[in-house]
Order: sequence, then C-alpha cells, then structure tokens
Amino acid sequence: MKKLVLSAIASALVVACAGAPQSGSAGLTLKHDSEYVIDGKIYGLPEAKVYREDYNGPAVVGDYLTMAPNLAKLDYEGNKEHEVRMDVFSQKVEVAPGVSYNAWTFGGSVPGPVLHVREGDRVVFKMKNRSDEEVVITEPLKGQAPYLSQIQASELQKHEAVIAPMPHSMDFHSGTVAAEDKWRTIAPGETIEFEWIANYAGTYMYHCGTSSVLMHTAMGQYGAVVVSPKEGYPTDAEVDQEYVIVQSEMYLSQMGDSYIYDHGAALARDPSHVVFNGHVSSLSENPLRADEGDRVRIHFLNAGPSGTSSFHVIGAIFDQVWVEGDPRNTWYGMQTVLLGASSSATIEFIVPEEGIYKLVDHEFADAERGAAGALIAGPRKAK
Amino acid sequence: MKYLVGVLAIAVSAQVLAEPVLVEGGQYVPVVVLDKELEQLTMPNFMLDAAPVTHAEYQTFVLAHPKWRRDTIPAIFHDGHYLKSWQTADSHAVDDADKAVTQVSWFAARAYCKAQGGRLPSLEEWEYASAQYRQQQGLTDHEYARMLFSWHTNPTTYAQLPLDPVAGKLNHMHDRVNEWVEDFQLLLTNGDDNDVLSGSCGDSARFMADFGEASYATFFRYQSRSNYRAQSTTSTLGFRCAYDVE
Repeated sequence: MKKLVLSAIASALVVACAGAPQSGSAGLTLKHDSEYVIDGKIYGLPEAKVYREDYNGPAVVGDYLTMAPNLAKLDYEGNKEHEVRMDVFSQKVEVAPGVSYNAWTFGGSVPGPVLHVREGDRVVFKMKNRSDEEVVITEPLKGQAPYLSQIQASELQKHEAVIAPMPHSMDFHSGTVAAEDKWRTIAPGETIEFEWIANYAGTYMYHCGTSSVLMHTAMGQYGAVVVSPKEGYPTDAEVDQEYVIVQSEMYLSQMGDSYIYDHGAALARDPSHVVFNGHVSSLSENPLRADEGDRVRIHFLNAGPSGTSSFHVIGAIFDQVWVEGDPRNTWYGMQTVLLGASSSATIEFIVPEEGIYKLVDHEFADAERGAAGALIAGPRKAK
Repeated sequence: MKYLVGVLAIAVSAQVLAEPVLVEGGQYVPVVVLDKELEQLTMPNFMLDAAPVTHAEYQTFVLAHPKWRRDTIPAIFHDGHYLKSWQTADSHAVDDADKAVTQVSWFAARAYCKAQGGRLPSLEEWEYASAQYRQQQGLTDHEYARMLFSWHTNPTTYAQLPLDPVAGKLNHMHDRVNEWVEDFQLLLTNGDDNDVLSGSCGDSARFMADFGEASYATFFRYQSRSNYRAQSTTSTLGFRCAYDVE
C-alpha cells in the first residue's frame, strides 16, 4: 500500500512536471500502473509478452537505428517512445577478405544496429526469433530502418541468408529490469515484446544472454545503444562529427571451405580476428571523415566477448572522455582509453591537421588481428 | 563395438538398417553435473533406434494415424510449422524419403514412438548412447567438439543430408539433426535445489564435470535444447525412439 501511495504521488508529480515542460524536456511519463519513480528514473515495467505472430516485414524497424559508424540524429525535443523491432536470425557474413561464417545476428549484420535514444526515452521493443527462416536483408522493404538501407548500400559483409534454428534472447545493458523476465530466451518462431526506459545516459552493449553467452556473443549477437544525456554533453554545440565504433573478437577456424566457431579458442581468449564494426576492413574501406580543426566525437564500445580494448588515435589526444558515456564521468587529456568487455567511453578529440589518422586498439596483438581503421581529415574549412 | 550388439540387421534397406540396436548398460558419469557431487549413474540395457526417424517412416505413421496429419493435428501440439516442408498433409517432399524427419514437435515425436511400442529416450539415455557412439567412431574430444560446433554453425546443411546407416550399430548421433529427448526441459539442479541461475548466462561452470571443449559441446546441446517448447518445430530438430528391454 505504501508503495502504491508513493507511486501515485510520484505519478502526480511527474504529470505536474510534464504539464509545465522545461525547455527541451517533455518530462517523464508513467504509462503502466506498475511503474514508479526514484531519483527521476522510471522502474517497475510490466512483464514481457511472448507470443507467435506471422511476420514477413523488415527485420529491423525504427527511425533511430543505424549501421555503425552512423548515428541517427535525435530530431525531437524532450522524450519520446520508440517502437523498435530487431529480429534475430542467421546470416552468412564476411569478417575479413575470404573469411565468412554463418553468424547469429540481431537484424542481419555484425554488429547489430546502433540504437540512438535520449535519456528518459521509453523503448517498446519487439523481437521475433526467425532463425528457422531465410531472412533476406539485401532487398529493400517498405518501412525498414535506416540500418537496413545502409547495409544494402555497404555490401562489405556480403550478406547471405542462412537457416540455423536456435533459441535466443536479448539483454540490453541500457535497461534496468528483471532479467529473467525481459531477457528471457525465446524458441524459433516466437516473438518477445517488452519495454525499457533509458534511465541512464551512456553507450551500452546489448547481446544475446542465452547460454553459452560466450558462444552466442562470439557468433555475432551484440550491438550498441547510445543514450544521449538529457541535458547533453557540455561540448554538443562544438561537435562536428559523431560516430560509433564497436570492437569485438571473432573466434573462427577453418573447416573445409568454410569457417566455424572455435570454442576452444574462445575459452583460451585467442581470437582469429579482432574487428571494428564487424570487419577487419570496415574503417579502412569506409574510413571516418572529418576536416582539420573539427571536434570529433566517437562513442566507442568494446563488446568483447572476453578481451579488453586500448583505443588510441595516432596523432591525436582525447580532449575529453566520458567514461561509459555518462557526462558526470569526465576525464581529460587521455592518449588511450582502456575498456573491459562491455565497457564504453564517449571520446572527443580535435583533428589537428589535414591527414590520415589511424584508429587502433593499442594492444597490438589485437591491432595486428584487425582492430585498426582510419579517419581521413580534409583541409580546414571556415566556420 | 564392444558395447553394442546389433539386432535384426539382416536386410539392407535403409529402414531395416535403422532398426533399433541394444545399448548395453553400464556405469556412466554424466557430463552435466546436476548434483553437489560428481554422479556415477548405472544405466540399464535399453534399445535405441540406430538412426533418426526418416520422412518415409514418419509418413507411414501419419497415414496410419491421421490425427497427426498437419491439417488435423490439434493446435496445442505444435507451433504452426509442423511438417511444413511436406508436399501435402500426408506426403513428404519427393527427395526427402531417406532424410531425418524434422519440423516435428515433442508431442508428435512422443506419439510416433508410442505407436512403435517405444518412447523417446531420456536425456541420460541419449547422452550415454552418444558417449558410446563417440568411442565407436573413434572421435577424439577435439574432433567431437569440432563436429558439434560445425553442426551448430551450419545445421541446415547437415540436416539435409540423407541418412546412410550401417547395420547393427548407432548412426548419425551428431551429424544430421538435433534430437528430442523425453526430459528435454530438465531444470538444472544442484542436489535437491533448483539452481536459481539455471546456467542461463555464462555461468555453466557449476554444471560441468570438466572444462574441456568436448564437455562444452555436450552441455551446449543440452542447454540449447532446454530452451525449446514442447510445441517447437524446426528444420533441424528430429528424433529417434528408445525401447525398454524385457
């Protein structure tokens, strides 16, 4: 009863705040009777629903879902409820020239889509386990997320639909929920639907939480959610380019003409490849772009599953770094940012001169296995 | 061959080659540890189909038991994709006669085995037979693990291969389809207590007799199958039947 009363008071306060919005903030909105507020954050979301549906539409739906390194612009004020769909299914993807494997994916690629929301936003998430279907993502479908359009334009991973039935689940590190409910495993043919609130700003990993998590993650089931702070970062007005990089390890070994997941190598933490954005050539075939004098922001996530990353930009110093992307965690003047598995940082640097800037994991055993890319800077432009 | 005695394997048709074989009982230490201490099980003799049930065999069953046709099966016994690959409600696709039947729910698999005078094998029976099959095949732990992880990387290719059984011994336990067992949803336990984490998130160490890749491969088969529903049907999940020995 006490909880109920407090919840009602909190709701009333929230509604009152929402009725008189501050500039740039629409305020929090409680949606379900079970919800309550602590320190301005919403908890107590309703139970997940698991059901069967006939669905042949686009595998990824939502306006703020992009392929890394792209990040969707938040073109709305205050908070928003996002309808997000990210189906889970298999796809043959290339991770290095001549090296392809049948990945388990969220949305058809490795890594999965980058979801961009604002702190306080609500996400209504839906995912169908379509691992027993051939899901083609290279043909445009009406209503598809920008993520799929960008994949169709990229062709780097040479996607081919494959069938590999397997139970899967979704664990958003950006959500604060009872994991055994929302992150529960669904069988092929089932759909799960649940909500979460982006209570904390930062860049968060999502991944499949079905055992073996090591295997499911190494097979390709991970991606990033960027939760931009409600009040922004202090440098928002000065940022010229904003990108997302997801680092991960691959554990593949050759078997006949194809490559398979190597659990022994995964247990021994001996990756065959370490990649930025899913391919050893992602950021050399399609380097990041900026101009001399630009302030570049990178949301960098180390998805692991087991390794660390020491991210460094050759020729630059990180002017400001927000650990985990939370604007309260500011570090200054860093040469390298060390990240454990599933850790992130939002990094900014000034591009000092026109030229090519190598992006590396300064743990060079990783860089030599693929964790390298480039930013190409053009001449300084008048601002 | 030490443990296995073939029976009734006289003719050479695929159906007869896949006749049940005797799995001789013995001592067995399960790979998945469901107790506070390592458990040694004493397995009794039992019979097990030499190979997974084929489309042709399943078609014979459906013709004899029309309630298991895909157009008459009660909705509660499947997930909507039961025998989806079949040409009609009572005939499989032309090229599939000698392939392992798939897209069969646990309910349907049980009904088939009951109609043959048998039952689905228990998890321990299946794994015990699998351990003997590994010896019979002369597979090292590494080869066995690679076989299973290769299957998981590309299960459809394996499931689409015709069966090619050899008479009088177990066949195709790892290289065609994953198989239903009676207690596929067995909870992970720690003695009398259900384990609160249920090995759900990378916390499998408590359930492993050892941390070799072969044990992980076995555990992964166990754990992934646990997440199916009794109604689930997929294109890579089949079954074989077990029979008590009088």
